[in-house]
Amino acid sequence: MAADDEQLMAGVREGEIAKLEPLFDRHHRALFHFFLRLTSNRPASEDLVQDVFYRILKYRHTYQDGTSFRAWMYQIGRNALADFAARHKAEVALPDEAGDFAAGGPAPDRSAQSAQEAALLHRALKALPAEKREVLVLSRFQGLKYEEIATVLKCEVGTVKVRVYRALRELGDRFYALSGERAS
Amino acid sequence: MSCDWVREQIPECLAGTLDKSARAVVIEHIETCANCRKELGELGVVWRGLEGQNPPEADPRMRVRFQEMMDVYQEAFRAGQQAARQTAGAPDRRKPWFTSPAWRAAGAFALLVAGVVCGRFLDRRVFDGSSQPGAEMAEMRAQLEGLRQLVALSLLDESSASSRLRGVHYSIQMTQPDAQVLQSLLRAVSRDPNVDVRLETVDALEKYAGEPDVRRALVDAIAVQESPLVQVALIDLLGKIHAHDALPALRKLAEDSQADETVRQHAELALNKIDSRKE
Repeated sequence: MAADDEQLMAGVREGEIAKLEPLFDRHHRALFHFFLRLTSNRPASEDLVQDVFYRILKYRHTYQDGTSFRAWMYQIGRNALADFAARHKAEVALPDEAGDFAAGGPAPDRSAQSAQEAALLHRALKALPAEKREVLVLSRFQGLKYEEIATVLKCEVGTVKVRVYRALRELGDRFYALSGERAS
Repeated sequence: MSCDWVREQIPECLAGTLDKSARAVVIEHIETCANCRKELGELGVVWRGLEGQNPPEADPRMRVRFQEMMDVYQEAFRAGQQAARQTAGAPDRRKPWFTSPAWRAAGAFALLVAGVVCGRFLDRRVFDGSSQPGAEMAEMRAQLEGLRQLVALSLLDESSASSRLRGVHYSIQMTQPDAQVLQSLLRAVSRDPNVDVRLETVDALEKYAGEPDVRRALVDAIAVQESPLVQVALIDLLGKIHAHDALPALRKLAEDSQADETVRQHAELALNKIDSRKE
């Protein structure tokens, strides 16, 4: 049976550095998508993933037993992104168009409508304040449990629940304002 | 149940992660509350719409870059440990610096990194047609610096004194000050059980000595030293950098009849040196 993330990270902390490799293999794609969704900057997102694993190696002694590895990794990811944003202010901005993000798998007769909706959603997501976009990405796309998001954002689970709802509500308001229609 | 509570459950309801009992409460509520039913419908459209936002695949070269970092780190760490075993204790200061196993290991590390850096540089230029070699090289230099920090930190944390000496040597090669490495060096200069490590650390701290916090830590370290050799090294360094803020501590030491004779003489010399600069 494969070791879980927490066991592997405990091994890395104790000096078994090679155990970082399966952790990279398991999580680098999700982490890349996390950064890409927040920055829409592909080269920057690739660099940020490397930076996160470099920091994991550097700060491995601070990993504590009983902490979700994913939550810890995304905490490091947030710090890396904040540092990156401070260094490259102009680069951390979503482009106007959906760009790399493709509308996936609609029925052929609905493809044009779906593509339009996807583009509008992308614009609405871009217009969200950064903290709302972040909590929505962590919850909707990264698949983190509310307990893990609470660890990442250093707040209570109840606060996460409220923040996710408010972010989704605001995204909905912006989306319907752009599309000019609301669900009946 | 209040509408506010029900609405806060909507994202989990749509994600299918809401527990059964809460889900039953939400369903019961929306059957009778038109506003919450509308809210669920609208947000459901948005939630499902997000599903269609598929990001592109990660570039396989990310794995290659990661492996390069791991290889360089592990190779340098092994080289550092091997060199430490060969050195077995204090460095022989009579031999030229470049003949020591530690510096040979550092050379091997530099060559290895240079190989990786050149490989990546050529790889990017050939496959991407990149026209920014300056930016590429700056990024790679930053990565090399980062690896030096990692190796230095890991070796400074080792139980063998020789490995810690190697860690101090790596820190000397770093061009940019790093807060974590600096903290490790400051810890080492006061508390490392090995005199040679403490002596080497004094040398390594010279480039940070412009910072007031570091100067204060160097002054504090004099008081906790058992070894007059290390005390003398610290005093000489403070004299060399003309540390005016160290004057009261140096005066006290120069006048302390209980202090080692050599230590007192060096404190006098350092005082004169700093005073002469003042004038």
